[in-house]
Amino acid sequence: MATQNKVTPTDSPQPTPILIQMGIFAAVLFVSSLISPLFPASFPVPTPVIGLILLYLLLATHIVKLHNVEKFGDFMISLIAFLFVPSGIQLAANLDILRTEGVQIVLVTLIATIILLVVVAYTTAGFIWLAKHVFHVNTTVDN
Amino acid sequence: MISLAVTPHMAVWGKWLSDALGTTATGASAGNAIFGIFLSLVVYLIGQWLFKIGKGFFLFQPLFVGMVLGIFILFLLAKAFGTTTAVFYKSAYLPGGNIIFWFLNPATIAFAIPLYRRNDIVKRFWPVILLSLIVGLFISLVIIYWVAKLFGLNNAGIASMLPQAATTAIAMPISTAIGGNAAITAMACILNAVIIYALGDWLVKFFRINHDPIGAGLGLGTAGHTVGSAKALQLGSIQGSMASIAVVIISIVVDLVVPAFASFMGLH
Repeated sequence: MATQNKVTPTDSPQPTPILIQMGIFAAVLFVSSLISPLFPASFPVPTPVIGLILLYLLLATHIVKLHNVEKFGDFMISLIAFLFVPSGIQLAANLDILRTEGVQIVLVTLIATIILLVVVAYTTAGFIWLAKHVFHVNTTVDN
Repeated sequence: MISLAVTPHMAVWGKWLSDALGTTATGASAGNAIFGIFLSLVVYLIGQWLFKIGKGFFLFQPLFVGMVLGIFILFLLAKAFGTTTAVFYKSAYLPGGNIIFWFLNPATIAFAIPLYRRNDIVKRFWPVILLSLIVGLFISLVIIYWVAKLFGLNNAGIASMLPQAATTAIAMPISTAIGGNAAITAMACILNAVIIYALGDWLVKFFRINHDPIGAGLGLGTAGHTVGSAKALQLGSIQGSMASIAVVIISIVVDLVVPAFASFMGLH
């Protein structure tokens, strides 16, 4: 039952040419960049977040098929750590902040990261336990 | 042009180098992107090499090595050019860095793919996913608030720490709105990713998080943003899918919850 609509890459035919895949990404980003400014300044939703939702909706409605985007998409995901290097190096511009109150900020951020990871993971586990034992929902998943 | 006039022949070298790097005294970009792209690749590849020969020692994670080494090289070069690291970063590194940085846009929307691959889990568990992220973020905010207070941060410092679960583009304006410092918040968001990338595997094992693949995914996506999602994908398709959805939903939840929380705590 759990597997009936699991989408596997093996059911996809010949991948779309890479330039067309990039075109789809560019189109999604372009439309998202038009939508993003429509949100008020007090409720910012940046272009890539809208783009992620948009591409997901296109896939879920089968307007875009997995084989149209997954070759380029998986490649981009495999690069993500490298793409983050300039953001990390960006801290070089903020060395003066680090010099004054840096130790506390870095320590609080380190602890906050661990808190977010552990609290969200265990809150989820708790709700799934509740769903299973109190509401008797089948919560078995196959990896 | 910044002169490197220690000795006459060094001045010539200095002029040639600063021409090549596009360094100007004001920090204005001369638009030469090659140095920034080259430096980013070199430091990251050194990181990969260290990680390989260091048998996966966590401090040798390529992103972490790349960041530290990159900043160190910019610091040394800035010293040699007789300017500050911030100015040298802006004029010599940023043009190339920005080109690589831009590709985070398509890389972020690409996470729609692992999300959709486990659409079965999304369809079955969406109420749990939504509830867990809202409640989990709220509990985290309370703890982070008290930890920040305990470390003696002032109200502006605390406010800068609260929005970090969101993606940088959301966290920064929220931080400003609740009286925080957007630059510190951006730094926190970047550190989140670096920390999860370096310590993620160890944390997942130490806190036994992977017992529940949905929770592991949501946690990694919340704490480590897209880099956390890449980490989650290594654990499995469910974890990757859940981390991808967490990146989107937690950003919107931060949008809604953090300003209310901050004003409730009297931060602004």
